Amino acid sequence: MNISLDLSTNTILLIPCVILFIIGCFGLLNSKTIFNALFSLDVIDTATISTFVIIAAFPGSQTPIIGYERYSSYADPYPQAIILTAIVIGFATQALLSAIALRLSRKFPLLRFKDLENDK
Amino acid sequence: MISNPIIFTSLIFIPIITGFVGCIFPKVFYKIGFGILFFYSILSLVGYLNGFEYTYHLINKDGIPLSFDNYSLPLIFGSSVVIMITFILKSKNFSHYFYQICLVLFSALSISFISKDLVSLYIALELTGFCAFLLVADRNDSRALFNSFQYLIGGGLAMLIYLIGVIQAFTYTGTFILNDLINAPATSLCLISAGLLTKAGIFICGVWVPNIYSDSNTQSTAILSGCVTCAAVAPLSRMSVILAPIGNSLIIIGILSSIFGAIFALIENDDGRTLGWSSVSQLGIAMLSPTYGCLYAMQHGICKSILFLTLNKNQTETNIYSNNLNNLEINNQDIDELIRIFAFIIAGLSISGFPFLSGYITKLLVKSDLPNEALIIFNSSALLTSGVYVKLIISRLNNIKIKYLLRKVSNFLRLNLFNVLSSKNITLILVSFSVFGFSFIQSKYFSLEKIQMSFITLLLGFVFYLSFMGIKSNPSVSNLRKTIDIIGAPFVVAALLLANLTYLKIL
Repeated sequence: MNISLDLSTNTILLIPCVILFIIGCFGLLNSKTIFNALFSLDVIDTATISTFVIIAAFPGSQTPIIGYERYSSYADPYPQAIILTAIVIGFATQALLSAIALRLSRKFPLLRFKDLENDK
Repeated sequence: MISNPIIFTSLIFIPIITGFVGCIFPKVFYKIGFGILFFYSILSLVGYLNGFEYTYHLINKDGIPLSFDNYSLPLIFGSSVVIMITFILKSKNFSHYFYQICLVLFSALSISFISKDLVSLYIALELTGFCAFLLVADRNDSRALFNSFQYLIGGGLAMLIYLIGVIQAFTYTGTFILNDLINAPATSLCLISAGLLTKAGIFICGVWVPNIYSDSNTQSTAILSGCVTCAAVAPLSRMSVILAPIGNSLIIIGILSSIFGAIFALIENDDGRTLGWSSVSQLGIAMLSPTYGCLYAMQHGICKSILFLTLNKNQTETNIYSNNLNNLEINNQDIDELIRIFAFIIAGLSISGFPFLSGYITKLLVKSDLPNEALIIFNSSALLTSGVYVKLIISRLNNIKIKYLLRKVSNFLRLNLFNVLSSKNITLILVSFSVFGFSFIQSKYFSLEKIQMSFITLLLGFVFYLSFMGIKSNPSVSNLRKTIDIIGAPFVVAALLLANLTYLKIL
């Protein structure tokens, strides 16, 4: 098990996703309010989903239909079908988090972590 | 026994359907749901004792592999028992949709126990997380809401890390099946394990555990500690069986977690938080042995839920804590309280490995599976654990003068025994005695040497507690209350695992 870096075209395609992931994590760790945390989680979610889609499109980006001449290099449908579930789950998480933020904003309008921690 | 895929698949989905229909007809389906849980507990217990094993693929040969075996059956039994105990003891305090959420949670848990497919596991764990979120938010004040918010953010991030690991494994293996992870690269294995470890609440990923446990309802806490943290134990055990390097690294993480959790539990002031840290430590021990880890997690879950349910004093007035016992009149409520104390002590002793209790057996089973290098650290963590439970039992027995009380209680019981037997008391007594009885199934583990050893561990724990009793964290300094500060913990653990797999190679 050794980790080697080979910069093929496929790896270069994934670099923006990794950067997006790091940006999201940085935002989550440095967030001062609930809203920042919520949006950062969404950014990480997007990064994960695009990683799945890009990896599925490594062999090619055409529709996976066998039998015609023009469809020769098609995308892998399996990860794309799987990631639909993750998209829905991410959306549900966002909805629940927004509902909680709405409830908390009645008592703490600025939604800062500092205020929420010292609440007793 | 039965071996039909359709029956098994429908067995998984019956509780979730009952839960949803129960939102429309709450009163009728409460009883039906309870009956279903009882049926499942009996079925899984019988299956486990007979060594039942059945693996099948959903839909056809290339479908999702599901398996009922000795990893999943004890955990199904444990979670159904925990939910049943909570139903009996706390049914008066349930809010509107509480038991429906519990039934949905049970289905999600059983899917995560039996599935050997990474994506089904992801979905089941997310569903478990949502249900746990609803249980935490049940108390509905701002503190509980904030905690549930943190839980959801932390769990969501952990599962995204897990997904990244899954897709990297997919590019090498071409499938999402757990057994094909042998061909996967080290980084993907580390990311998958880090996500699962966060869900199970082990090591620094598990700092959410004490925060959540101290700030939610008793019934929610019992269910969270009993089943939700077990959800990721079964897949981790399965992984460490088929992948030897990951298994060895998980032993290190487990040992670190058991020591770390026990030390934090010893210096904690609040009893609920102490139990939370102890949970981190115990699940770390469950990580040590892939074969018996599920059994250990089951035993720990049942005992921990009883501990949480009987931790607080009864809401109604009881006289046994008063100072002048000479003119004390014993009534039914006092007996209730005494039975709660009895169950608390039995469960606490069981977790700390007292002989003739079930925790003793599971501890020995885990110990028999360990490499020799890890044994000494395991013993020291057992010492710390017994220290923690001695502390908890002493703080529970505070203000009670046992000697006077026993005489009065025996007089009272001689006169009116049958008034005492309410359903709550019967459940508590039954559970305490079954904790006793479970240990006698495997009588080959009772040798004089081993019994001596566990007695001495407990005694040393008592001495240990007495000698360090003064050390307590300063209450004015706020200890780690904000879970979101260490939301990056999965990354740290993944990096540690990767370093161990590639360079350090400890064990």
